[in-house]
Amino acid sequence: MLGKGGKRKFDEHEDGLEGKVVSPTDGPSKVSYTLQRQTIFNISLMKLYNHRPLTEPSLQKTVLINNMLRRIQEELKQEGSLRPMFVATSQPADPLSDTFREAQPPFGHLAPPGLLPAELVSTMPLESCLTPASLLEDDTFCTSPAAQHDGATKPPPAALQPVKDSFSSALDEIEELCPAPTSAEAVAAEPAAHDSKAQPSESDVHKPEGLPESRTAEPKLMEPLPGNFEITASTGFLTDLTLDDILFADIDTSMYDFDPCTSAAGAASKMAPVSADELLKTLAPYSSQPVTPNQPFKMDLTELDHIMEVLVGS
Amino acid sequence: ADIISTVEFNYTGDLLATGDKGGRVVIFQREQETKSRPLSRGEYNVYSTFQSHEPEFDYLKSLEIEEKINKIRWLPQQNAAHFLLSTNDKTIKLWKISERDKRAEGYNLKDEDGRLREPFRVTELRVPTLKPMDLMVEASPRRTFANAHTYHINSISVNSDYATYLSADDLRINLWHLEVTNRSFNIVDIKPANMEELTEVITAAEFHPHHCNTFVYSSSKGTIRLCDMRSSALCDQHSKFFEEPEDPSSRSFFSEIISSISDVKFSHSGRYMMTRDYLSVKVWDLNMESRPVETYQVHEYLRSKLCSLYENDCIFDKFECCWNGSDSTIMTGSYNNFFRTFERNAHRDTTLEASRESSKPRAILKPRKVCTTGKRKKDEITVDSLDFNKKILHTAWHPTENIIAVAATNNLYLFQEKVN
Repeated sequence: MLGKGGKRKFDEHEDGLEGKVVSPTDGPSKVSYTLQRQTIFNISLMKLYNHRPLTEPSLQKTVLINNMLRRIQEELKQEGSLRPMFVATSQPADPLSDTFREAQPPFGHLAPPGLLPAELVSTMPLESCLTPASLLEDDTFCTSPAAQHDGATKPPPAALQPVKDSFSSALDEIEELCPAPTSAEAVAAEPAAHDSKAQPSESDVHKPEGLPESRTAEPKLMEPLPGNFEITASTGFLTDLTLDDILFADIDTSMYDFDPCTSAAGAASKMAPVSADELLKTLAPYSSQPVTPNQPFKMDLTELDHIMEVLVGS
Repeated sequence: ADIISTVEFNYTGDLLATGDKGGRVVIFQREQETKSRPLSRGEYNVYSTFQSHEPEFDYLKSLEIEEKINKIRWLPQQNAAHFLLSTNDKTIKLWKISERDKRAEGYNLKDEDGRLREPFRVTELRVPTLKPMDLMVEASPRRTFANAHTYHINSISVNSDYATYLSADDLRINLWHLEVTNRSFNIVDIKPANMEELTEVITAAEFHPHHCNTFVYSSSKGTIRLCDMRSSALCDQHSKFFEEPEDPSSRSFFSEIISSISDVKFSHSGRYMMTRDYLSVKVWDLNMESRPVETYQVHEYLRSKLCSLYENDCIFDKFECCWNGSDSTIMTGSYNNFFRTFERNAHRDTTLEASRESSKPRAILKPRKVCTTGKRKKDEITVDSLDFNKKILHTAWHPTENIIAVAATNNLYLFQEKVN
């Protein structure tokens, strides 16, 4: 797009996405709509967290990207497809506010950082703990749910859809195992969100260099977690850590063996509520790599493979 | 040469100022018609160059403050000197540009080279005389208007009273008096109490050309508010609100971003104003708030590429627009070093290119065309071969004649209507 004839493949891919007359209600084109929405969501996140300038980032750009993320979030909420575990609370809880405030309560920011698996799950119109097997079958891209439950089979590469299906079915398994924490988490998230709103947004501590910063009058407080930052930087992925902490933070973890997953993440692998700062730090190294938009999908496939093995293995 | 970040003619059109990313201001002056060089009529040559702003460091936030000149606005000329306001993200400066073509000779206490004379050598008193010298143009900073903006300044606008001016950043607009640097009045403040609720920022602001109490400001949501300073000290309540209802058929993820207004300019008559959003230019009648009276598509073929343009950040490019002296034609920039002019009455639009190859001196610019359908005709450019790094964001039109200045990255092009 930038050069003469450069990036033609991706361009065509994008044109294909944009050329479609998409509406959220059509059957097959719903997939492309959600795919496009997912792409835009990821790009928006990367933009917010990939910015490492010497000067302040443009407030206008930050606000516009933030609005985009919020809008997509709203759509997802309205579609009712977000599991209670991942439902964004009443607060906006967006990356913009993350950088404005101090460390947030655990679930205040779940949806906005928009971890891929969460998003993937959310695009499925689910009833609360029902296995979406019927929906998976309807979906033209999906593979058979039974095969995925074996765990040994890897999800087919390339498209997002098969990954989504296998992961969401794995998630259903977990939910069936422990239904209680989901409602508890949702309840816990609400007051936590309200508390965080009351927190002051001003502080004088400098943030670690290299992290994204939105423009405010007041400097922001970022808890320095250099250990976490370095470790996740070495893995260079949207790490297991993130997924584990978000997905299983409040679930009774005694059933699962998380050591293989979290060993790479080291010190930060404690099953504690994740703060906004940790999330930001995990996202920052991810975006420090010059990734093309296709790369995140491939990376997450590997991630999900890994998790799948662990989950099914236990 | 650095990337040009602003271009502005003065009130007579004899001077053209450009600001660049390195904080420099270069002023060009139009050559006077002389019998000895008839062909040089209309040529602009460098008149003065000076460093307006230097990079600064905000120690509190650990961030650099860019020295890039965001806007230059001339003051109307009131004596032999010229005055202009130039601003970076945080500080506005008033510069005086004056000519010196005489110097004094015959000082009593100094030699010609400036050394002090020995007291015993001073035997008589003499009156210094003025002798002609080579023209020297000096620029000196006369006022510095600082520390009034927390956010990045995007606009300055001199009031028609020639005594005050406004400066606008993302969330606030301040009113200054040209003589007073230690005080400014805040006239618009859209900062929410809770910054998390921020969804809209100010993108441009301008004073009405004739009514010194009226100004407009545009937003990132595609709205324009007209405010009257007589109504209250803080103009958070608008007098008029201009917004075009969204076309539901063209709604997309990027609707809001492409509706963000990057520039707003009153017509010379004061009856209309023009806004530039990502894909179009709209002319509004100040008497009608519901929708613009004219809409011109600048590069509609980009609508299907918005996702890519979002990814490479081009969708955030801020194009400016300008009127010609009679308000009959409007001009704005595009990509691939293309710029577009729209003749309002003749309903004619032209696409031209500012490039070395097509701009031999005295050559007539050939109209360009972007091919939007599958079949590419000869000389047409396909959308995919457009160079999105070559963007024309800043253009200016001479106040009375058909001379235009087009800034293409770090080159300035001046085009003139061919006079037979």
